[in-house]
Amino acid sequence: MVGLSLGEQHFIQGGIAQDLRCDGRKRLTYRPIYVETGIIPQANGSARVRIGATDVIASVKAELGKPSFMQPDKGKVLIHIDCSSTAEPAFEGRGGEELSSELSTALQRCLLGAKSGAGAGIDRSSLVVVEGKICWDLYIDGLVVSSDGNLLDALSAAIKAALSNTGIPSVKVTAGASSDEQPEVDISDEEFLQFDTSGVPVIVTLTKIGRHYIVDATPEEESQMNSAVSISINRKGHICGITKRGGAGLDPSVVLDMVSVAKYVSEQLMNKLDSEIASAEAEDGS
Amino acid sequence: MAAKGGTTPATYSPCQTTGKNKPPLFKEDWIRPDARGFHQCRPAFFRTGAVNAASGSAYAEFGNTKVIVSVFGPRESKKAMMYSDSGRLNCNVSYTTFATPVRGQGSDHKEYSSMLHKALEGAIILESFPKTTVDVFALVLESSGSDLPVVISCASLALADAGILMYDLVASVSVSCLGKNLIIDPISEEENCQDGSIMITCMPSRYEITQLTVTGEWSTPKINEGMQLCLDACAKLAKIMRTCLKESASDAQDDSS
Repeated sequence: MVGLSLGEQHFIQGGIAQDLRCDGRKRLTYRPIYVETGIIPQANGSARVRIGATDVIASVKAELGKPSFMQPDKGKVLIHIDCSSTAEPAFEGRGGEELSSELSTALQRCLLGAKSGAGAGIDRSSLVVVEGKICWDLYIDGLVVSSDGNLLDALSAAIKAALSNTGIPSVKVTAGASSDEQPEVDISDEEFLQFDTSGVPVIVTLTKIGRHYIVDATPEEESQMNSAVSISINRKGHICGITKRGGAGLDPSVVLDMVSVAKYVSEQLMNKLDSEIASAEAEDGS
Repeated sequence: MAAKGGTTPATYSPCQTTGKNKPPLFKEDWIRPDARGFHQCRPAFFRTGAVNAASGSAYAEFGNTKVIVSVFGPRESKKAMMYSDSGRLNCNVSYTTFATPVRGQGSDHKEYSSMLHKALEGAIILESFPKTTVDVFALVLESSGSDLPVVISCASLALADAGILMYDLVASVSVSCLGKNLIIDPISEEENCQDGSIMITCMPSRYEITQLTVTGEWSTPKINEGMQLCLDACAKLAKIMRTCLKESASDAQDDSS
């Protein structure tokens, strides 16, 4: 919890109204983003993202499993976020649980799309090995190592980077062609399939303070927010999910305005992120 | 009936009715399973005072979705909680084991409690009951699509029945996108094969959105259309809720005189 005096509160609010924030940024400027990939050797893909002092790690693990009865032609993707008590003493024990589940729900909403699988950032049909029998289960785990505001955007960036770092072993079906038997498979140790991440959206959180909204809020700024809207947007400029936080009401026209601002911001963020991921991959490979 | 043919299995499996029958989405003349128009809500029924022991309660029925919400308090916050000048809101949404076609499936919706909390907290004047807590317990008796919007609307009615000060009633409506069509107030069958959904919770007289979730891929004009559809429906729903409150208030007056 951030405790601010009345003077400090006015200072933050006044600065935002004049488009000059405490750290010298404008309202729609992000802090520098640093990406590292391939940091966890045991995982199929991993990435660490730092924005200011916010530090998050995402790992992707792929395991062979059985597709669900309802959707035999799709693999499964599970997202779980863990808020470590190293980030904040308040996360100790069950303290971080509420925030963890809030972040997981928001990320699931933004990345997995609707029930039918349409509009998903991750194409689940590409995870199927044998329809109705074998598929890849993708476990995406996020860990908040240090929290300095704007966790959701950082996590979505980390997941995007981890997915582009993910190699899924290629699989050969060796036996079990008959219809009711579970087929046997051979997992290759050398051949990996790169994951297509062009459709994975980024999340832009707009925090409304006073009459204006800002991106990439620090904890001090977050403590002053009326409400925050997290909008996930993909390369095509389509909206893939919206989550609202904070209790205060918003006028519908403000929401639509936020969507168009988020669209503009997301383009820059995505370009920045892509170049960061590319340079991180190059460094990882060398 | 199932025992009739030699080839048909004699066992009864409730899954068959929920999973496989995808409506033919791409036909032009597709009609909804309950023969409603695309922009037509299910008939809504509200009744306050469903639970005697609670400070306020309400029962809501939208088609086959049936929920009951009771409100307790304001009562003293737990001793372990720190002093606060504004009241606290505690929400919990639970499902009966028989609410869903497959027994006990209701535990899939763990996030509903926090979503209900977020939808309501902006509407309640929490400063009016310092140091105390209001508990909102919702129970879904029967789940048949659009559960959360029904729970939220019903909970705001129960809060009003309990006499908790609010800025406005909270109404909630969801819209599903199936193929090219936007359909309002979807039932479970439609929710299971939707390509996207918007849920809006708003205070219609103040024209403010308190909670908003969007899933699936949407273009800006489509999201515009969906939001407008939801907001219009919310305004109409709030009118129904208001008449229900007025009726129960006049009934109470008649009884006392």
